[in-house]
Amino acid sequence: MPVHADQKSAAVPSFTCENLQVTLVGAAGANVILDGIDLTVARGEFVSVLGPSGSGKTTLLRVLGGLQEKSGGTVRSADAPVEGPPADVVTVFQDYSHSLLPWRSVRRNVALGIESKLTKPECAERVAEALTMVGLQESADEYPWRLSGGMQQRVQIARALAMRPSVLLMDEPFGALDAMTKASLQDQLQRVQELTGTTVVFVTHDIEEAVYLSHRVLVLEGRPAHVGLDLAIGLPSPRDQITTKESPEYLALRHRVYEAMGHGKRHA
Amino acid sequence: MRELMARRVNLLGAATIAAALLLWEAAIHVGLLTFTYLPPPSDIANGFSELLSTGELQENLWHTLSAAVSGWLMAAVIGVSAGALLGLFRPLWRYSMASVEALRALPVVAFVPIAVLLYGFTKEMEIVVACYAAVWPILLNTFAGMRGLDTRLREVGHVLGLGRAAAFWKLQLPAATPAIMVGLRLGLSISVVLTLVAEMVGNPAGLGFALVQAGQALQPEQMFAYVVVIGVSGIVLNTVLMAIARGVFRGQMAAAGDAA
Repeated sequence: MPVHADQKSAAVPSFTCENLQVTLVGAAGANVILDGIDLTVARGEFVSVLGPSGSGKTTLLRVLGGLQEKSGGTVRSADAPVEGPPADVVTVFQDYSHSLLPWRSVRRNVALGIESKLTKPECAERVAEALTMVGLQESADEYPWRLSGGMQQRVQIARALAMRPSVLLMDEPFGALDAMTKASLQDQLQRVQELTGTTVVFVTHDIEEAVYLSHRVLVLEGRPAHVGLDLAIGLPSPRDQITTKESPEYLALRHRVYEAMGHGKRHA
Repeated sequence: MRELMARRVNLLGAATIAAALLLWEAAIHVGLLTFTYLPPPSDIANGFSELLSTGELQENLWHTLSAAVSGWLMAAVIGVSAGALLGLFRPLWRYSMASVEALRALPVVAFVPIAVLLYGFTKEMEIVVACYAAVWPILLNTFAGMRGLDTRLREVGHVLGLGRAAAFWKLQLPAATPAIMVGLRLGLSISVVLTLVAEMVGNPAGLGFALVQAGQALQPEQMFAYVVVIGVSGIVLNTVLMAIARGVFRGQMAAAGDAA
């Protein structure tokens, strides 16, 4: 059972994919990456997508985010079919340094998506709120490239949060960070998600991270990839880097996901 | 703070120049350099103050720089807007690429006699030549900067719901600023050079003509004084441009590693 009882409109899922197929055209011709993906992401749910590298995790996320066209099946965000980035869905990219505008201060980076939609004081308030959520109030007037990698990624997350999206799509957001920074950002994300009730689809190659953060873990397998494992993570929230990761439930779930990824038996 | 000042002034560099000048002076007095019309630096300094006292220098300097800078300003407006348009609309580039390449490859000097024919011996002719010369580097650098927008930033714009216009003003144009600045700097030095050429072979006015005239009048100290003035004014123009850019585009320039 996912642990998000307090969601209002749980009736309309954030995403529904039916028989989704995605074909990418590369140098070697067309390549079916994803095929026969059936997927429902409930409102307020935190779903992680795992899979071997090159399995199409990022492609799936890009399709949900309207950045990549599908070649078959249906994808719906809330009630509407996905054609281009949906209004209340924001993608957070892995490469934070390329995703931030180096000529804008942190504050103005965070304001980028809302500055033309809100009045100045409203915008300033939202920016301050988003920066507070990620603990970056003090760096608001700094340029992003003067910050550490972890702080830059928090700027990107704050920019997404400032949009007050109903869904965050995160593409290996902590993949390039060191273990310490990663752990503290995981906990921050956990807090923010609980606070805002935002739906999160989280692509990662880190099994522990997926189990630790999620309500549900999906493992992609095969070529073209389909959903090989769909595992509910019923660990109590809030989770803790030490106690949760020592609990037998966590270890059992971790074990199952490792197996689904093909570890233990043989390695592809 | 002191280190910063030292870097600005560059004492070692200044010392090298002073030493070279001394060497030059000495070599002539000792008889190592025996060109008939090569004056020692002290004579050039005299020539300089002569020109200064008659007001000739100021007048010519103003004439040339105002022509070069006007031409360059026109080129900046034309080059940046045309480069931006070509960067925005692919078909436009396909239609005009061949013409741009052909015109750019034509040595601008060859255009001077044509400009003289069209505009006569006027300051307008100089401005047109300076503008024509400067427009190409500005246009091409703007275009390249616009096209070079990172795909990721483009996607960030999509994801944050920026429309075409907002993406242009908030992403493409600022991202292209360092490239545009490169074009503007190249354009500025080229416009000065071509203004001088236009004065040497076309309109008899300004520093270019004064330089040639001093040579023909066998006044090498005045000629060299003009050469020095031309060199220094080029440096000053570039410094002023960069200072303005750092002030106006603080974020972009700092991000490009230019002012940090």
